[in-house]
Amino acid sequence: MNVQEYIESGIIESYVMGLASESERAEFERLCREYPELVTARRRFEEKLEGYASENAEVPPPDVKMKVLEAVKSFSMEPPRKPEPQPARMAVLPRLVAAASIVLLLGMGFLYYQTRQENEVLTRSNDRLKLSLDTTREILKRIADEQKDVVKNPDVTVVSMIGTQVAPRSSANVYWDSARSDVYLVVKNMPMLPSDQQYQLWALIDSKPKDLGVFDATDDKVILKMKNTQKAQAFAITIEKKGGSPSPTLQRMQSIGRTMQSQ
Amino acid sequence: MGIPITYTEQELVQALKERNNQAFGFLYDNYAGALYSIIKQIVTDNPESAGDVLQEVFINIWRKIDTYDPTKGRLFTWMLNIARNASIDMLRSKGYQNAKKNQELPENVYREAANQAILQHVDSIGLKKLLEKLRPEHRILVELAYFKGFTHEEIAEIVGIPLGTVKTRIRNALQQLREYLK
Repeated sequence: MNVQEYIESGIIESYVMGLASESERAEFERLCREYPELVTARRRFEEKLEGYASENAEVPPPDVKMKVLEAVKSFSMEPPRKPEPQPARMAVLPRLVAAASIVLLLGMGFLYYQTRQENEVLTRSNDRLKLSLDTTREILKRIADEQKDVVKNPDVTVVSMIGTQVAPRSSANVYWDSARSDVYLVVKNMPMLPSDQQYQLWALIDSKPKDLGVFDATDDKVILKMKNTQKAQAFAITIEKKGGSPSPTLQRMQSIGRTMQSQ
Repeated sequence: MGIPITYTEQELVQALKERNNQAFGFLYDNYAGALYSIIKQIVTDNPESAGDVLQEVFINIWRKIDTYDPTKGRLFTWMLNIARNASIDMLRSKGYQNAKKNQELPENVYREAANQAILQHVDSIGLKKLLEKLRPEHRILVELAYFKGFTHEEIAEIVGIPLGTVKTRIRNALQQLREYLK
């Protein structure tokens, strides 16, 4: 390439004065890296232009410097390279969006907080229910185990207590372990009694009653461990005063069941 | 630490990049007059507008100093182009407003600008004074390109000569200007 010709083409003046096209600028900058004489020629024209402009300087309005320095002072507070602030007119929408975002964020935060609170309450309640369920299961298991023991034991005799004429619907089962003398009672259906009365279970041995303990109608669906007896031809349930009586009130006998020993 | 009264260009650029207020004051005192002159040659209608542009130009210099690349030209060249672009932007915004106000067609705006370019040499200052030494057919083209900010394509359309001729004439005119600057 003929550098001198390129220099004389007017490209330097076009470039420096900002009249060169984008591609002309790019080409000139590339060639400047290759040919130092281009840079020298460019600098010479720049200095001439600057000198001429300085000679022809005009005094600017005096208030401009103050305005510029004030504006710049306010920028100095900001860190350098901060993006240029948008004109206020343009900034309204972004500010609205920002404000709306904050409101939305606060709203979501509150909802989150509230949901979390509710969730905590529910979790605690759930834990309590689970604990209660576990306890209940434990009890049921124990009862089931006990019942199995009672029911499956070959020594246990089941005596079905049948309602008498006074209380035809009363029913209960007595499980009697004759080998170990243990007596269990399962209340199936006994009418509710006034609070000052209780049911009492008796063993009839040679026609003489033996107290086996008291129970309530509400003690249903569980196995009640009663007092032991080695012998019994029959079992009977009477209604007595609360706490039981030393001897049964036979006219208020609710149910009776005979055992094998009665034969 | 001593207070420098003058700076080399390199020192000045470094101080400006460090956001040194004193260096910025020095820059204003030394270059505002030259830049104001250029602005006035472009924004001709209203001295107040020229002052507004000058203010905008120095604020932009402060903001954009990090983008200044010394390998591409002197600091003054960089500032001069900022001033010229800001002035043309001002011109364009006004030209646009006037065009809308008067319901004129874009072609008429160009013609108006061309007429102004021819007539304005009466009270020329600065670079424009140099332009008077050019042949009229060259002067108009430089006027339209440099002081009105038209592209070569737009000028070809306004003046009604081929694009290639516009380019050659402007290049030649600028070459001439360089001779006059000596």
